[in-house]
Amino acid sequence: MIRVPSLLLAAALAAFGAVDPSARAQDAPRSDAANGQRIYLADGCFTCHGRSGQGGNYYGVTPILAKTQLPFEGFKMQVRNPVRVMPPYTEAVLSDKEAADIYAFLQTLPTGRAAKDIPALNN
Amino acid sequence: MPKRRNSPDVARRNFLKGAGLAGAAALTPAAAKAQVSAPKQNLKADVPGPKLIAVETLPPQKDPVTQTSSGGDFMVDVLKTLDFDYCVINCASSYRGIHESLINHGKNIKPEILTCPHEEIAVHMAQGYAKIDGKPLAMMCHGVVGLQHAAMALYNSWCDRVPVYVMIGNIIEANKRAPGVEWAHSAIDPAAIVRDFLKWDDQPTSLQHFAESAVRAYKIATTPPMAPVLISLDAELQENPIADPERLRIPKLSKVVPPQADAGAINELAKMLVAAESPVLICDRLARTGAGMTHLVELAETLQCAVVDVGGRMNFPSRHPLNQSFRRAAIDQADVILGLEMNDFWAAANSFTDRIERSSRSTSKPGAKMVTLGTRDYLIKSNFQDFARYQEVDLAIGGDGEASLPALTEAVKRLIDGGRKQAFEARGKKLGAAQLASLEQARAAATVGWDASPISVARLSAEVYNTVKDEDWSLVGTSTGNNWPRRLWDFKKPYSWNGGSGGGGIGYTLPASLGAALANKKHGRLTVAIGGDGDFMFAPGTLWTAAHHRIPMLYVVLNNRAYHQEYMYVLAMAGRRSRGVTDVDIGTTLKDPNIDYATVARGFGVHGEGPISDPAELGPALKRALAVVKSGQPALVDVVSEPR
Repeated sequence: MIRVPSLLLAAALAAFGAVDPSARAQDAPRSDAANGQRIYLADGCFTCHGRSGQGGNYYGVTPILAKTQLPFEGFKMQVRNPVRVMPPYTEAVLSDKEAADIYAFLQTLPTGRAAKDIPALNN
Repeated sequence: MPKRRNSPDVARRNFLKGAGLAGAAALTPAAAKAQVSAPKQNLKADVPGPKLIAVETLPPQKDPVTQTSSGGDFMVDVLKTLDFDYCVINCASSYRGIHESLINHGKNIKPEILTCPHEEIAVHMAQGYAKIDGKPLAMMCHGVVGLQHAAMALYNSWCDRVPVYVMIGNIIEANKRAPGVEWAHSAIDPAAIVRDFLKWDDQPTSLQHFAESAVRAYKIATTPPMAPVLISLDAELQENPIADPERLRIPKLSKVVPPQADAGAINELAKMLVAAESPVLICDRLARTGAGMTHLVELAETLQCAVVDVGGRMNFPSRHPLNQSFRRAAIDQADVILGLEMNDFWAAANSFTDRIERSSRSTSKPGAKMVTLGTRDYLIKSNFQDFARYQEVDLAIGGDGEASLPALTEAVKRLIDGGRKQAFEARGKKLGAAQLASLEQARAAATVGWDASPISVARLSAEVYNTVKDEDWSLVGTSTGNNWPRRLWDFKKPYSWNGGSGGGGIGYTLPASLGAALANKKHGRLTVAIGGDGDFMFAPGTLWTAAHHRIPMLYVVLNNRAYHQEYMYVLAMAGRRSRGVTDVDIGTTLKDPNIDYATVARGFGVHGEGPISDPAELGPALKRALAVVKSGQPALVDVVSEPR
């Protein structure tokens, strides 16, 4: 079912993702993935993007964040001043260090495996 | 109309009530004391006066205790001509007259009474039933207090353009109402509280009036655009003997043939579609019958054009190469956009952003021609705003979408020459490739978090499909925001899907799915639904109706332990205000204690599996539940799942 008013946030993030992906992880400040996981689950990121970073649905499909291809600066820009309907997370509620920790956590999340290897997805 | 003054039943009730009160008074200590201490005066009896002599010597006032005919019986005879299979009810004294007639005069056959523990359940069952079976159920409830319970479901049915045939009880004449609750349960105009979302209503004052209005109501409800209707049944009329049986007559129902659109307008539209480079057909509540999908497929294949199915009905096969429902570009790049029985055409051509400054912009291609075909414009009321934002169009064609499609397809065929046919074929191939890519993209996305717990919504949806795919299945409900079935499943039969709630009133999915299951039962189809936990909690008593009436249905609870859409909305507010989001679960979640839906189900006599939080256990649990459903019983599987 299409929900027409909602342009996919994924499209906007994909534009960020066009930046050289090899620059993504090393751009982030020193970070703590375990703390990032704690914040990701406590601060509501999971509500739209899923506990496994699998994406979700809010005014349309929300993007997959597991091993995001966004560079850290692009990720932070989206967190601070998001395009479309994502809520902003200002420094008052999420420090740069915490944003980096979340980013580090996202890099630990496994991406999906081949759909052809999952029988339930081949019906 | 017979008067309650002459009613043997009421007179008898008053007599018994008086006797009861006198007896009770005699038993109270205060009354006994009063008797003992009464002054001893007039020890000699009075000489009987003329009134007392008359009471003692004249025959009693007419006060029969039985009757040989009843208005309720006649009402049932009328209902039988309308071919109702079932009457979904929550019992109420204001319609006890017809209730008894349905049982003993009608023999509880066509309509058969189905007991519902809430009026909202009854109406939602009727909504779900009508969308599968194509005809309304009868529904009956108290006029004042029952109708208020039913109101939300009636609003959903109204927004969903579904016929529901509601009958309510009322006591019109004030002097016939017993003291107390009958006054609280009576109204001058009981339908007033729901009239904004009824197509028509009446309160007959004679049995002949009832017969004509009952048939008229059915005709109005089932004429596109369809919607709920209501008849208020006076208790006197239901309960009392028929005064003039020889004069009563049941009129014949003659249904309105759905109107086909104007031939000139159809030809104009056909020219636009054939000349277009990238036309798109967007449909919402288009398919009224099984023929609707067939007609749309034929038109789309003739044009080899994109189809976007908004999903208000089962309009178009999900894996058809021309199905572009998850490709926004199919609309944005179109040069002719045809909306078929669309409720919100504005949304098709515009985007809207929910930020501090709410904004919108047109997303359609500059110069794109916009056309609507349908009956939506024929039934709009003022107060409730379900008609959505006004969209200017180049051509607005009135007519029933399904009935008009064959003529449109023929007009298109007449205009296609060899050159256009070649161009159409090339276009169709591109669309087919895009559709296949959409499916593969959905499958790839579904693998992320596949083995996680709580279980991903994608996996939940895929596992359910894996369980039912070899059955003659009918998916009749999904939780809010869950589009995975429509992305992954192969919907191809007219009953593979039946649309959503209409008005977004939560509490629809469980009872409406049961109504759809009732309609599917006689065809031996497997009814399956995936409903949210928040939705479930509005009307859990639906499960008792399922068990009591042995209606098979596989119901999967997507248990994310939240009203998750609202959770995200409150989170968005907190984000705007830079206050942190860690507490937005307050008032938006269903935890502490976690609800065990499988246990709840078992309490209602329904097979329950779960809570399932290990994805490896989901498939086996679904298979066990399926076996129960195939034996003719309902079953529920509680799946602890990701939010979306």
